[in-house]
Amino acid sequence: MSIQTASDVPMIELKNVNKHFGSLHVLKDISLSVKKGEVVVIIGPSGSGKSTLCRTINRLETIDSGEIWFDGAKLPEEGRELANLRSQIGMVFQSFNLFAHMSVLDNMTLAPTSVRRVPKAEARAEAMRLLERVGVGDQAHKVPAELSGGQQQRAAIARALAMHPKAMLFDEPTSALDPEMIGEVLNVMTELAREGMTMVIVTHEMNFARRVSDRVIFMDGGSIVEENTPEAFFSHPRTRRAADFLQSIQK
Amino acid sequence: MSGGTSIRDRLYEQPGPRTRRRVAAFTVVALIGLGILIYLIVRQFAEQGQLEVRYWDFFLKWSTWRFLLTGLLSTLRAALTAAVIAIALGFVMMRGKLQRNPVPRWIAVAAIEFTRGVPTLLLIYFFFLVLPRMGVNIGAFWRITLPCAISASGIIAEAFRAGVNAVPKGQTEAALSLGMSPLLTFYRVVFPQAIRFVIPSLIAELVIVLKDTTFAYVVSYADLMQKAKVLITSHDSLVSVYLVVAVIYILINYALNKLSDRMARRMNRTVAPAKVL
Amino acid sequence: MSLSALLNEYGGMYLRALLNTWRLTAICFTGAFIIGVLVTVLRVCPVKPLRAFGVFYVQVFRNIPGAAMLIILVYALPRLRILLSFEMCVIVASVLIPSAFCSEHLMSGMNTINPGQIEAARALGLTFTQMITRIVIPQALRSTVLPMTSLCVSTMLTTALGSQVSLRPHQLELTGVVNYINSRAVGGIMAFAISAALYVMTALLIGWVGARIDRKVRILR
Repeated sequence: MSIQTASDVPMIELKNVNKHFGSLHVLKDISLSVKKGEVVVIIGPSGSGKSTLCRTINRLETIDSGEIWFDGAKLPEEGRELANLRSQIGMVFQSFNLFAHMSVLDNMTLAPTSVRRVPKAEARAEAMRLLERVGVGDQAHKVPAELSGGQQQRAAIARALAMHPKAMLFDEPTSALDPEMIGEVLNVMTELAREGMTMVIVTHEMNFARRVSDRVIFMDGGSIVEENTPEAFFSHPRTRRAADFLQSIQK
Repeated sequence: MSGGTSIRDRLYEQPGPRTRRRVAAFTVVALIGLGILIYLIVRQFAEQGQLEVRYWDFFLKWSTWRFLLTGLLSTLRAALTAAVIAIALGFVMMRGKLQRNPVPRWIAVAAIEFTRGVPTLLLIYFFFLVLPRMGVNIGAFWRITLPCAISASGIIAEAFRAGVNAVPKGQTEAALSLGMSPLLTFYRVVFPQAIRFVIPSLIAELVIVLKDTTFAYVVSYADLMQKAKVLITSHDSLVSVYLVVAVIYILINYALNKLSDRMARRMNRTVAPAKVL
Repeated sequence: MSLSALLNEYGGMYLRALLNTWRLTAICFTGAFIIGVLVTVLRVCPVKPLRAFGVFYVQVFRNIPGAAMLIILVYALPRLRILLSFEMCVIVASVLIPSAFCSEHLMSGMNTINPGQIEAARALGLTFTQMITRIVIPQALRSTVLPMTSLCVSTMLTTALGSQVSLRPHQLELTGVVNYINSRAVGGIMAFAISAALYVMTALLIGWVGARIDRKVRILR
């Protein structure tokens, strides 16, 4: 019997998770474990439940049965405990969701100052550092609507990073972007992955998935159909459904 | 307006067990609180003798309702007449405000600002106190109808203008490029589309006019309020009659607002797909 | 009566009436705003009976005519042993009716908020209270400046109810003063025009301030 060290505990663990939207069974007995520092990409056709799965991890979607664990703690159901746990998980949305009434800089400092009680000056310095890092430092004093989609999404990533999350969730981060802006966002994400951030990414960017991920999860009809290494998955998928899907997206 | 699925429902997450218990507890407390409030009101009525049968039993008689109904019909007649005049005036003001020529434009702007900035009561006093001294004698009906109409016309002009602006520019350009004159373009292409956006606000406007007609007592026009006064003297029952009349007004206006909301939602459904932005 | 004669004899009265209208408008708009916010809180709270009460409140005061409201306050309440001064009746009516509209404006202001921002606030670990005070309320308020400006004007118009009760001369507002002058002298069209001009001026002033505030705080989308 070995002593479990902290690094043996998975960062994210789903055990037999089920979810229904009315009569629709959107997550069917999902079990998934993500190690610390691992980058997992979830792909699948639309309506396969991949976004829902991603959103259950910080309980933006509730589940009907099963368990979700984050860094050795069971996901709380409500209240301050839930808010506290969420503050440790960064999330990036398809539609950026920057707060429209605040400057980019205020977007960055809101959570650190109000949730973590970081002194204002410190939070601002950290925010500027992160904005520089994702390449939008010069946009800090503008409001979100003045930025391009790509800039907004990079700022949104920086906003999540400002909380020093233990893991990051990406829910189709490039789907709402014009093609010429996808690259700049993926570059930021690639760099994050290199630095060892634990990431769960729902995406349609297959090249990115192949290049950056440690593991690919293929979902269809609410179930995990295939789990594989990116190399194996994209060159010879084990399942028929994955092969069909890969076929269908190749133009 | 208050819609079905709104932001309100998105403010809350699916509650956990603790939240559910808390909401249940608050629900009980709120029900008790509202119960106490209702009890206190009813007790106040009872203690002051306002619940005595003689104050309420005449509402069981058809004659009472027939009497109120004649007043209600007068009210509706005045309100509808005022609304029609207001729409006509509003239309003219809107046309004026959209002119290129600054003279009609500024006249229209001044008229709109005037009607929107002056209380209906002041206009009623003008028609009641000032006009007769200037030798203009019109009956009680017009003394209440005209001020209500003028008062509403500016808002209606703005509603029309918003409707016209909501029609995509491409429609005008297309009509003009077909060789239609600007006037023809406006009446055959732009306005028929604008009217669809405007109908809900016109119905909502009727509510404002209807409310304003309650000042009819100032000019002694026999509207619902006046009939209520007669009822009060004949039955010596002020509280019950005024409450019932207030409820009548509230229900009518509520129905009109609901109709306006429904129209607006239907417009949105039929118009939205064609909206080009 | 000529303008100069009117102003000579009643100029002070008009000035006081203007100040009274301003005072009533300020008091009533503030009151309406506070109550409107509270009612809106009831309308969005998760406790069903309170929601129902909030909706009921708005429908009653949104739909009751000002005259009916005032008559109930002036004549019916005393029979229920609730005595308010005439001026207080005017104030109560001019608070309750606009408060319902205030709540309606706040509700539509909230509906302009993108729900995704609420999810983002949650995902960052903001508590419910933080989300409401930092995201929802600021955005709702900033997108309702123009409706609130019109509400302020219509509150001013509602205070003309003051002409329907017997206020003492120093309490008269702009509509009551016309009535007062006409009952004493032949004020004619001028007596009316002065009040109308002062009303319109005030409305334009409110509109101008509102537009300036709106330009400053409007949320780009």
